[in-house]
Amino acid sequence: MIPQFEFAVFVWTSYAIFAIIVAWQIFQPILRRRRLEAEIREELALSQGEYSNDPHP
Amino acid sequence: MLKSVLALLRRDLRLAIRHGGESLMPLLFLFAVLILVPLGVGPGPNLLSAIAPGMVWVAALLASLLALEGLFRPDLEDGTLEQWWTAPAPVGLLVATRLFSHWLITGLPVILFAPLAAQMLYLPDHALPVLLLTLLIGTPILSLIGGLASALTLGTKRGSVLLSILIFPLVVPVLIFATGAVSAVADGLSPRAHLGLLTSLLILALALAPLATTAALKLNVE
Amino acid sequence: MIWQKIKVGFHKLGSPPIFYRLCQVLSPWLWAGFAVSLVIGLYYALYVVPPDYQQSDSFRILYIHVPSAWQAMAGYLVMSILAVIALVWRIRTTEIMAMAAAPIGAAFTVICLATGSIWGRPMWGTFWAWDARLTSMLVLLFIYLGIMGLYAAFEDKRKGARVACILILVGLVNIPIIHFSVEWWTTLHQGRGISFVGESTMDASMKPPLIWMIVATKLLFTAALLDRSRNELIDQDRRKGWIRRKLGASV
Repeated sequence: MIPQFEFAVFVWTSYAIFAIIVAWQIFQPILRRRRLEAEIREELALSQGEYSNDPHP
Repeated sequence: MLKSVLALLRRDLRLAIRHGGESLMPLLFLFAVLILVPLGVGPGPNLLSAIAPGMVWVAALLASLLALEGLFRPDLEDGTLEQWWTAPAPVGLLVATRLFSHWLITGLPVILFAPLAAQMLYLPDHALPVLLLTLLIGTPILSLIGGLASALTLGTKRGSVLLSILIFPLVVPVLIFATGAVSAVADGLSPRAHLGLLTSLLILALALAPLATTAALKLNVE
Repeated sequence: MIWQKIKVGFHKLGSPPIFYRLCQVLSPWLWAGFAVSLVIGLYYALYVVPPDYQQSDSFRILYIHVPSAWQAMAGYLVMSILAVIALVWRIRTTEIMAMAAAPIGAAFTVICLATGSIWGRPMWGTFWAWDARLTSMLVLLFIYLGIMGLYAAFEDKRKGARVACILILVGLVNIPIIHFSVEWWTTLHQGRGISFVGESTMDASMKPPLIWMIVATKLLFTAALLDRSRNELIDQDRRKGWIRRKLGASV
């Protein structure tokens, strides 16, 4: 399944670095968006006098 | 128009003289670096003369960084900077004047004391004129780039760390051509190509840096 | 008539709600395209292409190194075009896009530098050589970091974006000079002993994965750019009515 390479350590480390950084590019926007949406929802709820979701009553 | 330029220049130089000790800081810093390096790498003449052009230049670069924090910020804080837009002279000219006085305060002393520094690092005697020439052409570029970077960081709270990160990539070519010229002549080669490229960098910086600096100042004053 | 429509359509992109909608619609397609071309590219790069006769399997690093290097530079170009539009026409969505492009470009520069030095270890026997291309990539990374740092240091995001746009253009003028000077410097200081072999004379069978990977990085850049810009827009406009309506509807 996984091909056998000469210089395998170098090849796989490079591809791993690539994978990690690409994954960061994919997940950073998703995580940030979730956080922003949660913040805005909380602000909206508080401004409408809805305190049922407030973690610190 | 000329009157306001001269007034600005006179004021800057008078301030520099009144704050005597503070104005000498870049020079003291230069020599601190130049004394620490032989202590770090050992006093061998061969090694020192090989790294002398690079060391003098890196020290000059670091010294020019020191005075940048006070280049525009005090004027922004007391409101003088906004007055530049109502002055009879164009703002670009006033910016150029301020950069010129910065060069007189930080660049010129370095050039004057460079022969002493070269002696301390065993730079070959026949390379000294070229070293002085590169400093003469190169230190104005350092002032221009430094002025640009300090104008860009003017609106931020802590500009000084950012300042060095912004300046470092921009001065790479200056450092390469300047030290290249001195090394070439120390090895008995002609430094003309390096000096020509350094001069063209100076012309480019003279043409573009005041424009960009003025634009950045305008954004920060608004 | 048709030009008028194109012009109006272009101006509409300056409006935050329409830009937001566009990002929302386009981004999944771009991500899908990226996934497809990445899978094809990786399959070719790791399974199909035979080992190089000089470098054996280590040349497979090329398939991520070269596309990243390209994208790091192309990303800077895209960012500069956005910066010019932002400075001349003062369109807020382009300011936001220019600022969102910097971290992605920096990420590609990091990939390029890391894989380049890892590739250097079996080829040159050392992780870091003061090779002209690696050195100018390192300087490019610092320019990217300077842009990000400058933008982050401002309280007023719009002012920060404008000032950083000036820095982007200063960098654009400087990058060719830096590249040229570094090349000059390395040729003077070391012989031509160190250079990548076999990069210019590439066998035809080695090309398809490279093309797929280049397409993949381009799509990744665009998709991440749109996603990041949309987030930045939400962050800046969080107190405004249109964001509240858009997100409030989904509560």
